[in-house]
Order: sequence, then C-alpha cells, then structure tokens
Amino acid sequence: MIAVHRLSVSTLQLAVLATAALILLPLGYVTTLALSADPAVWQRLWATRVPELLLNTVSLAGAVALLTLGLGVSTAWMVTRFEFPGRRLWEVALVLPLAMPTYVLAYVYNYLLGFGGPMEQLWQLVAGPQARISSPQSFWGVTLVMALDTFPFVYLLTRSALLSFNVSFEEVARTCGASQLRTMFSVTLPLLRPSIVAGVALVVLYVVSDFGAVSLLRYQTLTYAVFQQMTGRSDNQAASILSILLVILALLFLLTERWFRRKSRFYQTTGRYRAPQRIQRGWFHTGLLTACLASVVGLAFGIPTSLLVMWSLSQEAQAILDTRFFGFVWNSALLSSLAATAAVLVGLPLAYLASRKPTWLNLGCLQAAYAGYVLPGPVAALAVLFLFLKIMPFFYGTVLVLIVAYVLHFLPAGLQSLEPSIQQITPNLEEVARTLGLGVRETWRRVTLPLIRNGVIVAWVLIFLQTMKELPATLLLRPVGFDTLAIRVWLEASEEYYQLAAPSALLIVLVGLPALFLLLSRDWRAA
Amino acid sequence: MTHSPIHTTHTDTAPSESQVNLYGSTASILELRSVSCAYDPSRPAIQNISFSIREGEILCLLGPSGCGKTTILRAIAGFEPVRSGQIFLSERLVSSSSETVPTEERRVGMVFQEYALFPHLRVADNIAFGLHQLSRVERTSRVQEILRLTGLEGLERRYPHELSGGQQQRVALSRALVQNPVLLLLDEPFSNLDPDMASRMRQDLHALLRRMKTTTILVTHDHDEAFAMADRIAVLNRGEIEQLDSPELIYHLPATRFVADFVGQADFITGQIEQGVVHTELGAFPNTIDGVEGAHVVVMIRPDDIHLIPNKSAEPRIVARQFRGSENLYTVQLPSGQIVHSSESSTSVYHEGAAVELRVSATHTVLFLAEQPPRS
Repeated sequence: MIAVHRLSVSTLQLAVLATAALILLPLGYVTTLALSADPAVWQRLWATRVPELLLNTVSLAGAVALLTLGLGVSTAWMVTRFEFPGRRLWEVALVLPLAMPTYVLAYVYNYLLGFGGPMEQLWQLVAGPQARISSPQSFWGVTLVMALDTFPFVYLLTRSALLSFNVSFEEVARTCGASQLRTMFSVTLPLLRPSIVAGVALVVLYVVSDFGAVSLLRYQTLTYAVFQQMTGRSDNQAASILSILLVILALLFLLTERWFRRKSRFYQTTGRYRAPQRIQRGWFHTGLLTACLASVVGLAFGIPTSLLVMWSLSQEAQAILDTRFFGFVWNSALLSSLAATAAVLVGLPLAYLASRKPTWLNLGCLQAAYAGYVLPGPVAALAVLFLFLKIMPFFYGTVLVLIVAYVLHFLPAGLQSLEPSIQQITPNLEEVARTLGLGVRETWRRVTLPLIRNGVIVAWVLIFLQTMKELPATLLLRPVGFDTLAIRVWLEASEEYYQLAAPSALLIVLVGLPALFLLLSRDWRAA
Repeated sequence: MTHSPIHTTHTDTAPSESQVNLYGSTASILELRSVSCAYDPSRPAIQNISFSIREGEILCLLGPSGCGKTTILRAIAGFEPVRSGQIFLSERLVSSSSETVPTEERRVGMVFQEYALFPHLRVADNIAFGLHQLSRVERTSRVQEILRLTGLEGLERRYPHELSGGQQQRVALSRALVQNPVLLLLDEPFSNLDPDMASRMRQDLHALLRRMKTTTILVTHDHDEAFAMADRIAVLNRGEIEQLDSPELIYHLPATRFVADFVGQADFITGQIEQGVVHTELGAFPNTIDGVEGAHVVVMIRPDDIHLIPNKSAEPRIVARQFRGSENLYTVQLPSGQIVHSSESSTSVYHEGAAVELRVSATHTVLFLAEQPPRS
C-alpha cells in the first residue's frame, strides 16, 4: 500500500516538474535572448521606439482604468443599492460585454465612428456637411472601446463586494453622526477598495496585453509592437526585448495591486452580518437609472450585436456561409477543445500537489504556472516559437505548437478555478476512503474527481472560451492556411469588409454567452 | 398576549412605575409608546411595545433569538421604520409611522454584536470618527480621555485586526461613548468573547456605565448577563414584552411560564385547588392566585427551593447528578414519573438510585393556571 502510494506520488511529482519546466523554459529563453542581445539593438530601441510605446501603453491603461472605475463602480452601486423594475435584468445584462472580444468591438466602432460612418453623418446633419468627428483610430477611440469591453470586471467584483458588505459599518457610522454622503466616502468606498482595485488590476492587465483592438485601431502599444517586430521585420531580438519590457510592466501592475490589497483579508466580515437593504425607487428614478444602464449596456453590447446581426443577414455575408466557413468553425472548436483538455490535464496535478503536499517545490511549480498571467499573447507565442525552433524544429508549423502556447497562456485562468475546488475538499475525505479499502487510483476516481468535477468543468469551459477568442498567438503560430473564426474576423475587419467579418464575429459572441452564464452562476450563488 | 400575569403580588407594570417615582422628577430619556414595526419576513416583528427609561438607568431586553429584541434596538437607533406608535428621545418625537429622524441626528451610541470597527482606520481614528466637528486638539484630548477610562492606553496606533477580542469590544464601546450619547445601545456585546473574558468585561462595563451615568439599553439572550448588568429587565417573546421588572422580581415572581422557564431552571408540577389549598404530589401550597375550588393549576419550583433528605423509605429516586463546581444539580423522579430538580451544596453527594425525601420551601412558589400552555 505504502509502496504504491510513493510510486504514484513520484509520477505525479515528475509530471508537475515537467509542466513547470515547460512553462519556464520558453520564458527563460526569451529572457536570455533579450539580455544577450547586442547592446546596439537595445540602444536603438530605447532611442526610437521604447519611450513612445511605454507612454502609449501606460496612458491607455491609465485612461481605461479611470473610465472602467467610474462605469463599474457606479453600475454596481445602482443594481445593489436600489430596487426598481428591471433591476435583475440589468444585473445580468451588465456582464454581457465580456462575451465580446475587443477586436469585434473595435471593428464595430471603427465603422460607427469612422470616416463617413453613421455617427459622422448624424453629426453632419447638425453641424453642416463639412463637419468631421475625430477618428476612432486614436487614443480616445481605443480607450472608449477598451473601457466598454472591460468595465464588467470592475462591475462584477464591486457588485459581489457590495452584496457581502456588512451594513453594520455604515450603521455605526450613522450613529457616530455621519451623513449618508460622508458614510459613503469615508466608510463604504474605502472598505470596497480591495475589490475595486482587484477589478481595475484585471482591466489593466487585459489592456496591456490586448492585441485585437489596438491592431485594428492602429494604436501603437508594446504588445502590438512585439507582434509587428515578429511579423513585419522578423526581428526576434527586438521582439524579445520589447516582450521583457512588457512582462516587467505587467509585473509592476500586479505588484501594485498586491500592495493595495495587502490588508484585504482583514477587511472581510467575520461573524454575523446584515446585508444592506435596497432602497425602493419611484418611477422618476427608475427612468433615470434605466436610461443610464441602457446606454452603457447598449453601447457596449446592444448596438454592436444588432449591427453584427444586421450584417450577418446581408447578402454578402450569406454568400460566404459555405463549407469553407464551416471549416473555420471546426478549426476553432477543435483547437479550443484540445487546448482546454490539455490545460486541465496539466493543471490538475499542479493544483492537487500544491494543495496536498505544499512543499516549496510544489508551491514553486504552481507559481511558475501562474507566470502565464503576465505573458501577453504575442509574448507567449514568441516564447513557444523559440523553444520549438531550438529543440524540436520538426514540430514547427503544426497544431501542437499552438496548443502549447495556449496552455502556457491560459493555464492561470484554469488554475484559478481548479485550485479553490481542490482546496475545498478536506483531505479527510480521501483518507477515509483509504481506510475503507480503496487504492490511490480508486480514491481519485470515486471520491476526489466527483467532488472537484464542477471546478474542472468551469476551468475547461473558461479555457475553451478564451482560446476561441484568442488572436495574436493564433496569427503567429497557426499552420499555413489554418484559419479560425477569430482570424477571419480580424482579417476581414482589417480590410474593412464589415459584412464579411460579421458571421464569424457573431458566432464567437454567441458561443461566449452560455459560457459566461456558467461562470456567473457560480459567482451569483456565492454572493 | 392575553396571558396576563396572575400572581397576586404582581400587577402589570406597577412596580416599575413606582420605582420611577422613587427617583423623583427626572424626565425619561427614551419612551416607546405602543411601537410596532413593519412585518418583514427576514426580521422578527414587534408589536405594541411600550416602556420608558430614565436617566442613568441600565435596561436589558432579554429573550430568545427571533423574539424581536434587536428589532427594538434598531427602531430606537432609527434603522428600522415604525409602523405604528411613537418613539421619543429626550422628549422629542424621533420615530412615528409618518416620520423617522435620521440616525445621525439622534445622538445614540451603538455597539454592534461584531463591533463593526472600521478595518481601514487605526484605533484612535475609529474612536474619533464621530468627533469630526471638533478641533484637532479637542479631538485628541477627548480620545485620550476615553482611552484612559477604558484602559486602552498605548493601543491608539493599532489597527482593529491587531487587537484581541476584549480590546476590540472596548474600542467599539469607546467609539460610542466618546460622543457623549444621550443613550447607549448594546447589541449582545459579550457574545463574541469567551466566558471568562465576558464576565470580566461585564464587571468593568457595569462599573464604567455607572461612573459615567450613561443611560443604556442592552440586548441579550443570556439571563445571567441580564441579571448582572440590568436595573430592569424586559423579557420578550414573539415580539411582545412578557414582563418588565427588576431582576429579582423576574427571577422569583415570573409573570408567565415563559418567563419562568427562560430566566433559569424551573419545574412545573400540576395540582388542584381543594378547600383553598393547592394539593400536589409534593404536598400542599397556598392558593396565591385566588383560584376557584377544583381548578387545575401548575406550581413553579426552582431547584434551589427543593432540598433532598436521604430516607430509605421514601419513594422519590435520584436519577442523575450533575456536578457544577459550586453546586450539585440532582434530577429526581417522583412516583408518578414527574421529574424535578434540586440544587444541593457542592459537598453533599448522593448516589444515583438513592431514595430521597423532598422538602420544598413554599414561600418561593409561583402558581399558574393549568390551561396556560407552556410557551417556549
């Protein structure tokens, strides 16, 4: 019995070490390449591209963070503190933009706000035929698109923090003579800070690593530049230097967020708590609230989706719905399923060992897996590309390279739902199974797996969804002629063939919806 | 409800009113006039609650969970709207069905069960939270003063999570007291402390409230706590006050069976009135409720009123002994099967199964009509 136990653990241990190596090797390789680059390359980059790219990236992240902060916190406040007809509907609708990839939203806004687009025509009716509106292919255009797409992160985290907020804090402030407004600013918002900051941090990481919107709106950020160095100039040294800068930038944001949250565990409510009561609103306020929420949801989801539907029904779009199109669908589904399955298989042993045998080695391996968190798509692609070229060049240009890049990139997202589900089961359950005569494998099959099933399913769906939307790594690593839905959207939209891009885009959004609700149902129950 | 107290020495709220008069002309700090709160499935409703509290008094709302005691506290603080009736604070109408003065204008201090210390503020800032209208110097001196009074000196730079449970409670108390509230509201303030700490804090708090002459309402489900702290106790059940009296009267002369049961161990023995005397299995008791001839009644006896004498020829048998340190609590079975309890000194040890004779000190018995169902 004991011998079997040791044996199986060591196989597991080996698997975990191999995974960590798989993740760290490419990263290490990119780093070495960047550090060993000719100083002249560094100098040239610092003198020409880097200042502009850093400024663009940081200012975009800052502006989007501010905008999502406003949008996310105010909408969360509206649906948690007020009661009005339609509240539950808005509560769900506010999450919908998450199903919309940034490149889809970017291409829709490129049309709406673009040269000769509907907004400009509308403006010309008001201001005369010569009037122009500022192009969406600008700082403000990208900021708007990114903020509309990512504010649900802030909304979701703030909302669940508000729902689990202990209203005693507010009540005790009132007994101390504080007015409602003072209570909100000196008690409620400071206590929500950890959750709000966590939401904004997600937004910032998302913005920094985004490729879709910035490439379609032609806004130069570090991520976009890495992609251009790899494709346009095939300058892998410069690409790796920019990648390292990007990773450092992301790490800085992450550390800032950790610093902000260092006390958050003390903020959690202990013991009895009283949930805040929603204030009933009359028809006037209902109208006001509905108008606010409708314009936010409309801009971020309603209008873009209706446009996609309209375009998809157009004759041009109908004409491309042939076997070729269904080939793209198949490619997307195949890639996503393979990536999700691989990531879950790789992630399970990692999470399991770190939870059951938390040695520094196992915890280190788990942390290494989270490194993918700060790896934007092009960087992950770059890292995997180098690794395969060096070690296994015969795999270059196959689907395997893509799958490895996806696993590297999306493993953290999967681990975030695998880890808690494993931690929630007490080891006693497994131990009692062993006392009842079950072997290690039987225990896994009959006790552990059924208990973590939901966590595994959620992880799988999450990775499936992310892979479906993934753009830059797919663009860089796909086998020749192997197009996915995301690639089709991007290619058609780059050429401004709005109608032709619409069916693929709509399909991506629709596939994303059920997955979104699956994820939400967890969050909803918990709240 | 309609089950009025039927003990001869007790008539409604007469004792409390006479007590108020003893203290002379002091006006009541708080008065509730037939207050009922709106029914909400998540909160216990309260009906027709009336009482008043004079300056410096400590009143305790005692009852099981869900009896509405916290709802009363929250109505006084202004968190809970009143459906009917009025609440007066310092003779000013603060709550009625049509008007609710906001909490921050009521000048009540409140200590929550889980203290609700602001986790993002240091101890000193937590305490100074309600003093924002004062100058900086004045604020600091007030905070220092209250820290000294509550024995928290030296902790002002700490954050709440760096304090022990007892210290957290004292910070919460300091925060409420520092603004000189008209009325202090304590919601189960000792329930998060371990028993030793709770009894020490109880004594300290009682001494402090007396010294500062703070008018206080304390909510608890623990009768020992109520007895130790309160000048008067209101026992609540299902949203209504069953009895409002001094701790001694509540214990010895409970107005209802519910009160009798809730404030300490009690046995209820059935009997019948014959020739003006109550006959029970434990002997005869005086008919103190003017019951009619032949009426069935219940006699309440507390364990400290029953004494055991070993007697081999007696029929009652000891079924169990529970050693409690300062006393032995015996469970005794009577020939009819009826169980009674007796509290004996710590050193008198009888074995299970021993035959004993029971002596009941009849002066402390309380009668209820038998039709009254037990309400627990």
